[in-house]
Amino acid sequence: MTGLFEHIDVGHELQPLRLTLSSEQVRAYAQAANMPGGRFFSDEAARQEGLPGQIVPGNMSMALFSRLLAESLPGMSIKHLSATFRAPVRPGQPIVVHGVVIEKHCTDRGDLVECDLVVENADGERWVTGTATVQLAAGPTATAREP
Amino acid sequence: MALDFDRSILGTEFDHSVHPAVRQTDIDAYAATVGETVAAPGLAPPTYVVSLRTRHFLPPNMPNLGQVGFDAGKDIDFGVPIRVGDTLTSSSTIHDIYEKTGRSGSMRFIVLRTVVTNQRSEQVAVIDQKMMFR
Amino acid sequence: MILDLHTHSEASEDSRAPVETYLKWLTRKRDVLPVDGIVLTEHRQWNPNADYRELEDQYGFLILRGAEVETDYGHILLYGVNDAIAQRFDFANVRLNAQEVVSEVARLGGIAVPCHPGRPTIGLCEHYATKPPLEGVVAIEALNGGSRKGENERVQELIDRYHYRSFGGSDSHLVSFVGICATEFDHDIRNGDDLVRALLTGGYRPVDFRDRLRQGT
Repeated sequence: MTGLFEHIDVGHELQPLRLTLSSEQVRAYAQAANMPGGRFFSDEAARQEGLPGQIVPGNMSMALFSRLLAESLPGMSIKHLSATFRAPVRPGQPIVVHGVVIEKHCTDRGDLVECDLVVENADGERWVTGTATVQLAAGPTATAREP
Repeated sequence: MALDFDRSILGTEFDHSVHPAVRQTDIDAYAATVGETVAAPGLAPPTYVVSLRTRHFLPPNMPNLGQVGFDAGKDIDFGVPIRVGDTLTSSSTIHDIYEKTGRSGSMRFIVLRTVVTNQRSEQVAVIDQKMMFR
Repeated sequence: MILDLHTHSEASEDSRAPVETYLKWLTRKRDVLPVDGIVLTEHRQWNPNADYRELEDQYGFLILRGAEVETDYGHILLYGVNDAIAQRFDFANVRLNAQEVVSEVARLGGIAVPCHPGRPTIGLCEHYATKPPLEGVVAIEALNGGSRKGENERVQELIDRYHYRSFGGSDSHLVSFVGICATEFDHDIRNGDDLVRALLTGGYRPVDFRDRLRQGT
């Protein structure tokens, strides 16, 4: 019996998330994540801080990375997650959250895969980049979702 | 010349917080906003750990780096998962301070390292948060 | 011979790419990314002890080292870095004098070439709008894999006006972006001295593999 680790290869692309975060969703996240900064709640407060308008918290982009991994690699657990916030993500703008497997290794911590992760806009500009190390579920039950 | 500051502040703890016990309702509210899923009932999604509010978000003895700060990135090493009922403790230190230039001009960065443990002294996460000031 | 002249490994604070994983990725993607080697241009630093010969032997790629420094005319890539150059400049200083960097690096046996010239604030185009052109610049990075819409397009005017040679680099900070933009040389490059000589004398051009990668062919 083989598991997900044997079935996915370097270069495997994760099923992308295509979404447009609403202003309301961003506010709800900021509230739930205990992020009181006005820049996450209204355009007006954000402009007072020199921003063009309400922005998506970096933590929310990381949560989207986590969701991408969970949906694409069922049963996995994240061991390491990194993100670099290169440009503000704004609500109301279409984004694609995608990733690719760049490395696989069997270790004493289990079967691990490394992924590159990106949030980009419609023009392909990389607003958030990241990486993840995930441990895949053992056994035959999990199946990677194809993009 | 690299950014000039008193390097003795690196590695010194500036915050030690004990957080209220994790409730299922908090986890549900957090997970619902981005559709982040959990591995099993009673567990928090991985990035839930960033929702912990420490008493001091920034070090009181931080050098003057600029007026407005932005989250520039994070690195999170995950340990044991967070469970409903956990009482989490966090300890934060200044890990690094440096300067660079980018599309928006000159920027100064402070990297804050927060170690989160649970009531069993198990490591839950080590978070390196990079704040950018200009 | 094709080299990616602008890459960052995990030695740079904003990159998470191990050098060996770059090489594994390039091996795997050889049909769409026909790159023969990379130049590591870490941000604001020079490590005299970094040695990638074992990885070169193991994977069959050329690995050269340079640096990306920050100046009053934006970011500049240095190739052919040697002890004299490393001692002459504090690479961590984000306010280096660009003219000094270009002139002194050349005098000391290397070459300094501006990168991502179309980028706001840290690109040459914006600085040339308000300051005199730098003397001694022979080439600029006309194709940068990390540029946003319109940034690479701004560079042509500079090339036409100042007759700069042009090269390309991925500016990769993640493994899966290495080699997407690179430079094709007419002659083989075997070491840092060859690279400096080639950049000075010509016979190279930027190459863009992004469409090939997308199509997976």
